[in-house]
Parts: sequence; structure tokens; C-alpha cells
Amino acid sequence: MKRFTRAMIVLRAFWQLNWLEELQYRGNFVASLLGTIFWLVMAMLTVALYFRHTPQLGGWGYWDVVVLLGIFNALAGVVETVLRPGIGHLPTDVRSGALDLVLVRPVDAQFYVSFRRLDVWRLADVVLGLAVSGYAFVQTGRAISAWELIAFAVTFAVAIAVVYAIWVTLMSFAFWFVAVENMAALFDAVFEAARYPVSAYPGALRFLFVYLIPIAWTTTIPASALTGRLNPALATWAAAVGIAALGASRLLWRVALKRYTSAGG
Amino acid sequence: MSPASSRTPFATFRDQYAELMRSAFLVDLQYRASIAIWLIWGVTEPIISLGIWWSIAAGGAVDGYTREGFARYFFGVALVNQATLSWDAWNIDRWIREGEMNHRLTRPIAPIHEAIADNVAYKTPTATIILTMWIIASLFWPAVRIPFEPGRWSLAIIAIVLAAAIRFLNGYATGLLAFWTTRATALVELQFGLSLFLSGRIAPLSLLPPRVAHVAEYLWFPYVLSFPVEILTGAVTTSEQYLRGFAGQAIWLAIWLALYLVVWTRGRRHYGAVGG
Amino acid sequence: MPSAIVATELSKTYDVKVRDPGIKGALAALARPRYRQVRAVDNVSFAIERGDAVAFLGPNGAGKTTTLKMLTGLLFPTAGQAQVAGYDPWSGGNPFRQRIAFVLGNKQQLLWDLPPEETFRLNRAIYGVSLADYTTRRAELVELLLLGDLIDKPARQLSLGERMKCELAAALLHQPEVLFLDEPTLGLDLEAQQTIRTFLGEYRRRHGATILLTSHYMADVTALASRVLIINRGRLLYDGELSELVARIAPIKRIELVLSETVSRARLEEYGTVAHYAPPRATLEVPRETATVASTRLLTDLDVADLSIQDPPIEEVIRIAFGETEQDAEEDTVRTDVRRAPP
Repeated sequence: MKRFTRAMIVLRAFWQLNWLEELQYRGNFVASLLGTIFWLVMAMLTVALYFRHTPQLGGWGYWDVVVLLGIFNALAGVVETVLRPGIGHLPTDVRSGALDLVLVRPVDAQFYVSFRRLDVWRLADVVLGLAVSGYAFVQTGRAISAWELIAFAVTFAVAIAVVYAIWVTLMSFAFWFVAVENMAALFDAVFEAARYPVSAYPGALRFLFVYLIPIAWTTTIPASALTGRLNPALATWAAAVGIAALGASRLLWRVALKRYTSAGG
Repeated sequence: MSPASSRTPFATFRDQYAELMRSAFLVDLQYRASIAIWLIWGVTEPIISLGIWWSIAAGGAVDGYTREGFARYFFGVALVNQATLSWDAWNIDRWIREGEMNHRLTRPIAPIHEAIADNVAYKTPTATIILTMWIIASLFWPAVRIPFEPGRWSLAIIAIVLAAAIRFLNGYATGLLAFWTTRATALVELQFGLSLFLSGRIAPLSLLPPRVAHVAEYLWFPYVLSFPVEILTGAVTTSEQYLRGFAGQAIWLAIWLALYLVVWTRGRRHYGAVGG
Repeated sequence: MPSAIVATELSKTYDVKVRDPGIKGALAALARPRYRQVRAVDNVSFAIERGDAVAFLGPNGAGKTTTLKMLTGLLFPTAGQAQVAGYDPWSGGNPFRQRIAFVLGNKQQLLWDLPPEETFRLNRAIYGVSLADYTTRRAELVELLLLGDLIDKPARQLSLGERMKCELAAALLHQPEVLFLDEPTLGLDLEAQQTIRTFLGEYRRRHGATILLTSHYMADVTALASRVLIINRGRLLYDGELSELVARIAPIKRIELVLSETVSRARLEEYGTVAHYAPPRATLEVPRETATVASTRLLTDLDVADLSIQDPPIEEVIRIAFGETEQDAEEDTVRTDVRRAPP
């Protein structure tokens, strides 16, 4: 319990520090917000284009797909706020030796690396994404039950966990492939597929995105909760996948770190 | 004095390009793992688009495009896109901000030549890899096969080279705006966003709402992707279509070349007035 | 024989926006923009003959780099003219660039991921050097700069001093008439500094290249240039022989002390003028000739943890030589929010 409290204190310190730093760059905030809005509009136009030629994508109607798009944007916002500046910076720190400074601190290295840098302005992307989802949800005309809302919250948290686990896994490989600077690009490439419901893809790709590169669990599942497609079994599976992903990535991290420290860095 | 003056200007130029390309190639070789990742990123976008259109076309052709038609189209997009990537704006921006433009401005060759050599050295092997992947895929997947027509393929190559030149000049000229503003790369990204629709990356241009496709015709976007791809897939058949396509490419190449020269001259002057 | 470098009333003036801090200031600046003129280079004139080596001294922001950039064609003058190797730098184009080399101390020109050898090859092609010339010159440069096997290692694996030596070699393969060096020894270890200084002297002797270097190290001058140009706040304060300058200023040396025992300021005054007193550190100023003797006395009499003898910093020299007050120096450093500082 004490470790948890301490972690919370450190987390709050990171938040305040990053907030103070970012406050100086208000101009960047406007620029990045405009950028996000632009890409969101482009994404919605893309979906509109698809729906010019079909009434449904994988069984999902137009507004259902927009709900999912909003969730995608919110998750992308989490990536830009926490993951890319934090653990995404690992390859650079390994190469420059800055990681060693982290390892001597009395805090868990993975925790420290993950949260010490935050791009706080990008939280606007998360808010924007959820707002788009909310708007689209209203347009679907469905009613929602308390259970479904809770299921959404839980599956959204699972989605964040899965995305985080994917980042940890990718970045752990930075310990082996020190020369590779664009590991994050692998995530960006594959995450694009999460813009659409997994049922919209043909069989082979669907298999890939559910079982091999588990991005189906990132956007499709939370969106399913809001669009009446989630059943308790699926929700439980999602939770299990989330926990398993966190565990597996943590294991890989520890193996990688052990190798790094025993090799002398 | 070195006997450089005894060699013709062309000979010197050729040597400069040869060495610039060699250096660029050697550096790329060092970064081959990163480049492999960029390649993966380059093909996932068309694959995802193809996946969606493949599902949409399950019930039959969409405006004349069957599933196989979409498959050929997006493989073409992957190839042509790889040959026409534009990253120079980010380099220019970084060089100006970090003072690395200075030494490029004090040596007897304009900085654009280094960029051209860099582009050729990068794109030739990577586009070849994509082409090889396409050939291999067509062995197992009949949908992506393209009939062997040397005449058509030659025209496609010419169109691809012209497309690459247009997009390079477009990206470079926009990137030179970094002489004046820190948001030059944002402008390039804006153009890129528009090009997703207007150059036919998301979907063949014939599937766009007619008014949007009409707007695209007045800009350079169709000529940097859609036109070369449609030569490859066989959507371009009549000589009138070929003529209009190549004429459009020639015109936009001239326009962006002129714009580059204007921005470069003005930019140099601005840099000479106020520094970095 | 025409001079290699001629500067005639060179001036470079920037208009810099003046703005009060905070949101109110930002809005006011939008409504009514105010400008302040910064004279980075103010009416500088000098002539350097072929084969001479001249050092351009001055504190940071004095205008040295700006002048150099005007002489290399990166900036054009607001007023005045420059002529280098017979060309106007700004309009001289490629024929002009063929005859000069510009090496900047803290900026990388070598290809980072490849061995310096590759940069040599590239420069050979860019400058159109024949194979025969290239082979001879490369061999000479490798020998004089003690490059040895450095040129086969990727540049990123070299130390700063090793990189700088390779940068110099790469810049001289086309045997430029004029070599411009901007802070070439900045941040280098003593050995590298020494090698470079010796090299430049020898190179000039052999090939008659004209060398203009900027620095804020006095030591750069002693090894290389007999003539110095001192510039401060854009103005040329002195143009002449180094020996004369040394004679002009109160010839002092600084002794930096780290003491292991408590010594009073008054006690230290017995050994020289106390410029700085912050126990356990202290700085004494003594006449140049007596510096060694004074140091020995200090080491014998007191419990000293560390002692070093140094030249006074160039700012000090200028202040002493040209009688500027501390207030003038302070005015210099106070700037309101400048959008563009002179390079």
C-alpha cells in the first residue's frame, strides 16, 4: 500500500512538472489542436466516402463507425499524451546513456520511464475523441444502460492497457536493436487499422488483428459496448486480454532490462 | 588551382551526383533496420484501405471496381507511393533551426542537389523491394496480377518518375518556407491530408463525389499518384487519357519547378538579411 | 597583388521587435509593433593580404560570427562592401565558393554515420579535385593532422577533438585560397587545440592560404596569428600586432586558487590583487613576469588544494585595454524579448 501511495505522489509530481513546462508552449497547443481537428475531419470524410458505396461496414452503420472513430481518436490522444513522450523515448535514452540515470533511482524503472514526460496539451485529443463518440452515440438514437456505460469504461481502460502493453513490448526491443530509432513507427503503422471495426476486414486480416497483433481489442471492444454489441462473455475476455497483455509485456521488459544491466549497458 | 576547370561542367556535375548518391546510399545502408520499418509503415496504409474496399466489394463491383480491381489498384498505390515519398521539408526545417544550412550554402553546389541524390538513393532500392513483393504476391494471388505489356509498363515508369519529381519539388518548395516560418512542415502535412483524397490514396478518384474529383483535376494531386497507378492497373487506355495525363504532369512539373526557384531565391535573400 | 580579404565599412543592422513580457505586452506588440535597431556589425573596415593569418577576437555576441558570415556570403551587408579572393561573397556564386572554406567550431559538416574518408570523397567530387591532387593533399593532411586510422571510424565514434581535425582536413582538400574558421578550438581538449594550432601555422607556411579565425581564446592567437582584430559590440576596436596589444594592456596573469585552509582576504593581498574571494576559492591578479614566482610562494606558504595560472578572459582584456566601464558591459546583456538575436 505504501508503494502505491508513493507511486501516486511521484505521478502527481510528474504531472505538475510537465504542466508547468508545457504552460510555456501555449502556441504549440493551438497548433496541435488544429492539427488534431484537421485529421479528425479527414477521418470522418474517409468514413463518409466508404458509406457512399455501402450501407454498412462489417455490420456497423455509419454512426456506429463514427463512435469507434472517436474512441480511436481518444486512444491516440492517450498515446500522444503519455506513451510517445514517455516510454516512446526509451530508444533515445538507451543510446544516450540517460537511462542509466533512471536506473539508479529508487523508483521502478518502467514506471518512471512511462510517466516522467507527459505532453499534457494532447489531452485535448482525448476529450475531442470522446466528444465525437458522444455525439455519434446520440445520433444512433440508442438508449444506454448503466451496465453498458460501466462496460464501456472498463473496456476503454482495457484498451489503454493493451495499447500500453504493445508500446512496452515494442520499446523493450530497443534494448536489443539499439540502432533502430523508429520503433514507434511500427505501432503507428498497425494502429491505423484500429480506425475501423474489426469485422470490416476480410478474414485473414481479421485473424491478424484479433489474435496476433491484438488491436481489435483496443477500439472495437469499447465501441461495441456503446453500440449494443457487447455481451458479458466478450467483456470478460477483454479484461483477461488486458491483464494478460500487461503481464506479458512486463515480463518482456524485465528480461530486457536484466540483459541491459548485466551487459554493462 | 585544381584542374576542375579543365573538365566540362557536365562531367563535374555527374561526379558530384555520383558521390552524393553514394554517400546517401551508404548512410541508408547503416539505417536499413529503420528503413525496413518505414517500408512496413508505407504498405500498411494501402493494405488497410484494400481490406475495407475488399469487404465493401463483397457483394459485387463498386462503380466498376471489383475486388480484384481494388487489389491491383492498392498494390499500385503502394509502389507509386514508395517512389514519391516526400520528407525533405523536415530536413530543411531542422537544418535551418540548427545552423546546418550554413555549410550547405557555402559550398559550390546548391542544396537541392543533395536532396535529389538522397531521394534517388533511397527510393530506387525501396521501390524495387515493393515491386519484388508485388511480383511474388502475384505468383500466389491471381487478383493482383497485371498483364505483361512492355509499352504500358514503360509509360508507367515515365509517369512514376514525373510524379516523383512533382511531389519532390512540391515538398521541397513548401519546406523552404522554413526560411520564414516554423510551421512549414505543418503546411506539408496539410497538403498530405488533402492528398489522401485528391490523389487517390484512400480510393480511386472515380469513387469520389464528382465535385471533389472535379476539384482534384485542377490541382496537381491526381498526377502524383492516381495517374501513374491507373496506367499500371489498365484504367488508362485511350491515347487521349494518356495525353491529358502526361500533359498535366508536365504542366505541374513546370509550375512547381518555377515555384521552387521563386521560393529558393527569395528564401536565400531573406536568410541573407536576417540570418537563421 | 590584390588583398585576399577586404572589408569596407561593413555593417549589419537588424530590426528587432521590442515587446513587454506577458499577455498585455503581446497584444500591444500586435497593435503597435515597436522595433529596436541592433547593430551587430558597425562600420568595420580592414584588409588582409594573401597568406596572412589574422585572429578576430571578441566576447560572445561581439559581431565576429556575423562578420564572418558576411565574408562567406551567408549574409549580405546592410551597408559597406566585402571582397574575398577577388569576389563579392554574396553574389560570387560557385566560383567564389570554390575558393573558400568555412569551418564552424560547433557545427557538424562530416557525414555523421560514415567514416571521415567518405566525406573526403564527397568533397573531392563537390569541389572537383583531380585524383592526383586529391591523393597528394589527402596524404599531407593526414600526416600533418595526425589522423592515422581515425578516418576509417564512423564520425560519431570520434571525440570532439578528433572530429574537428577531420573537419579541417575535409575542408582543405580543395586547397582554398581563404580559410574561415569560426571558434575552431571551442570545447576541445588541450592536445587537440595544440595540434590544430600547430597545423594551421604549418599549412599556411606551405600553401600560402589566408586564414581568418574567430575566437575568444587568447591562446588561439599566440600560436597562429601575429595580427589581431578586436571587435566588441559590432565595432572594430583594434587592428594591429599582437605584441603591441600585449604591451598596451596591463600584462597580468590570473592565479585561480582552491585553498585547503582558511586564509583571509588581507593575507592573500600580500601576493597580488585579489580579483575574487569566495573561500575556499580565490582569484589573484599578478604581473605576468612574476606569475610563476608568486605561484611558488603561494604553494609554499599556504595549504593549496589546486592552483592554475590563466590569461585574463578576453572580456577583461578589452575592458582593460579600452577602458570600458562595467556599466557599458551590463547594458549589452540586458535585452527585452528579442525575436531574432544576431547570429
